[in-house]
Amino acid sequence: MTLLKEYIVPRLIQWAIVIFIGVSLTFLIPRMSPINPIDQAMGRLTAFQTLSPEATLALRQSLMDLYGLEGNLLTQYLNFWGRVLRGDLGPSFSAFPTTVADMIGSGIWWTIGLLGLSTIIAWTLGLVLGGLAGYFPDRWWSKAVENTLVSIYPIPYYIVAFILLMLFTYYLPIFPLVGGSRGTASFSWSYIGSLVYYGFLPALSLVIGATAFRFIMSKALASTERSSDYVRFAEIAALPKRRIVFRYVIRNTMLPQVTDLALSLAAIFEGALITEVVFGYPGLGYLLLNAINASDYNMIMGITLLSIVGIATASLLVDLCYPLIDPRVRYR
Amino acid sequence: MAQPPILEARDLKAYYITEAFGVRRTVKAVDGVSLSIQPGEIYGIAGESGCGKSTLLKMLLGEFEPPLTPVEGTVAYDFGEGPSDALGMDEAEVASIRWSRVSYVPQGSMHVLNPVRRIGDTFHDFISTHRPMPRRQTNEMVKAYLAEFGLREGVLQSFPHQLSGGMRQRVTIALATILSPKLIFADEPTTALDVVVQRSVIQLLKRIQRDHGSTLVLITHDMGVQANLADRIAVLYAGKLVEEADTRTIFKAPRHPYTQHLIGSLPTLEDKVARQSLPGRPPALDDPPTGCRFHPRCPYAMDICKSVEPPLVTLEDGHRAACHLITDEADHAAHSRPALA
Repeated sequence: MTLLKEYIVPRLIQWAIVIFIGVSLTFLIPRMSPINPIDQAMGRLTAFQTLSPEATLALRQSLMDLYGLEGNLLTQYLNFWGRVLRGDLGPSFSAFPTTVADMIGSGIWWTIGLLGLSTIIAWTLGLVLGGLAGYFPDRWWSKAVENTLVSIYPIPYYIVAFILLMLFTYYLPIFPLVGGSRGTASFSWSYIGSLVYYGFLPALSLVIGATAFRFIMSKALASTERSSDYVRFAEIAALPKRRIVFRYVIRNTMLPQVTDLALSLAAIFEGALITEVVFGYPGLGYLLLNAINASDYNMIMGITLLSIVGIATASLLVDLCYPLIDPRVRYR
Repeated sequence: MAQPPILEARDLKAYYITEAFGVRRTVKAVDGVSLSIQPGEIYGIAGESGCGKSTLLKMLLGEFEPPLTPVEGTVAYDFGEGPSDALGMDEAEVASIRWSRVSYVPQGSMHVLNPVRRIGDTFHDFISTHRPMPRRQTNEMVKAYLAEFGLREGVLQSFPHQLSGGMRQRVTIALATILSPKLIFADEPTTALDVVVQRSVIQLLKRIQRDHGSTLVLITHDMGVQANLADRIAVLYAGKLVEEADTRTIFKAPRHPYTQHLIGSLPTLEDKVARQSLPGRPPALDDPPTGCRFHPRCPYAMDICKSVEPPLVTLEDGHRAACHLITDEADHAAHSRPALA
């Protein structure tokens, strides 16, 4: 099938190359450093806390392994790849002997849940509102929405986060101050309810800014679509306005927006660092901040590798979805 | 003239009125046009770019938005149920009249089909808006109709970019005429098509007009297309109707100097020397020349042309022209026959 051969396979190859280069760079960067990261890390760790001799040895060994200080450069490189492919990222320094993989594994779902959902909500909201406002620029509601969102847009998301935090946990204590959920994880209404309850404010702080951004983009695109020949023709044929807005205007503005959604989704893997810290949300951003504070190299390396794979994979998935959205990509 | 005209415009004036930084600018794109179109005829509107053809079409179609404003005059449709105003229709009236009675074939057709929608879906959108019916039924209807146009069934499953320019134009014409409208406006339907495709489009329009007994209003600057299709032709210059007559008369015995140049510019097979082009350019419509708007380019311009606007007078057989050269002649004719407009 030509679609597979000409579209999917080249993109898979591209994906593999990006990951290969990214991981190789992650391997090389510690090596460029003039200081010995192992001694540094060991010194820092043993300066503030005492580790048992076995732990110290295991740590040194794992550092030797991970930074590849055994054998020559090539064997080190191959060993490094072996570890990465096995998902073995070594133990976390700050929470020894829990492995980095375990800690990322528990943090990542919080982040994916929070950022994934808020990104998708903001994308959809911004797309639809922007489309409507672009198509009906003279209605009072479209002006109201536009003025509101344009004034919100320049406010950084962490300021929005602080404002929301103060308003709704201190002055009007409706929402919880920190945490991700209440009770033990289960498929019960009360647990899922608590997820929504705890996630609401962090998500809102992210959604507000992202919606404003998406709205501005989407409105500009919709204004262009509005004067396109096919929209004019549909208007002359007196098609219902609702159908014109959704099937003719927004459907066409989606094409560039989908690419942008990919980039926003890829950013998930870096975590919304500040949001998670402000709301004490147990995701990757929180983990990364702690790792940086504690010089937890294994953890930082782990999150770096994850974001390389995550960004590459998200772009791949969107590339693969593109033919579903734009028929012109489907057939050539 | 037994039947009442299906479309009648009386002294229509439509201006583009814009105001920026307190400066008001008025472009008189259509300035006092009167015409009446009989049911079943093919009426051509000709003129060079910027003469107000497209604006006139927008007004006749009742599809205008600011800054284009109707200033004076009326446009009325009559589908055998008495005249109805075309300029003051609300959304519901527009929806009830469009496509089932008044339709529109747009220019070019390269981008008039939604690129992300299958042709079949677009047909369903257009048909079901005016005649609610299930998807399967519209499919049957479209299939049968497209077959008449020499288009395969597979077209329904295609996206616009998969069709050639000629196929796209045929699909667009089918989309505009599938509900057998009484009145069809065609805006430069053959522009941007090569001559072979132009020919098939002309034949197609002619056949639709004959089969459905529709009235076709054809707007194009291409006098060749006009000669092939139109029964009667109106020539516009600078927002004014300068001459109107049946096609034969326009081509054989044009009276207005502008029409004479328009016809004279057409190449013929016997040509041995280059065709003469008319000096100058069409005037800017925000500040048209005084008197006859054609006088700066007219080889026969007299003193009166610079100050007095020539009236549109009726000669024999409904032939109308606006030129001082013939005004006197028409005065004599008026004694024997009453003038029309």
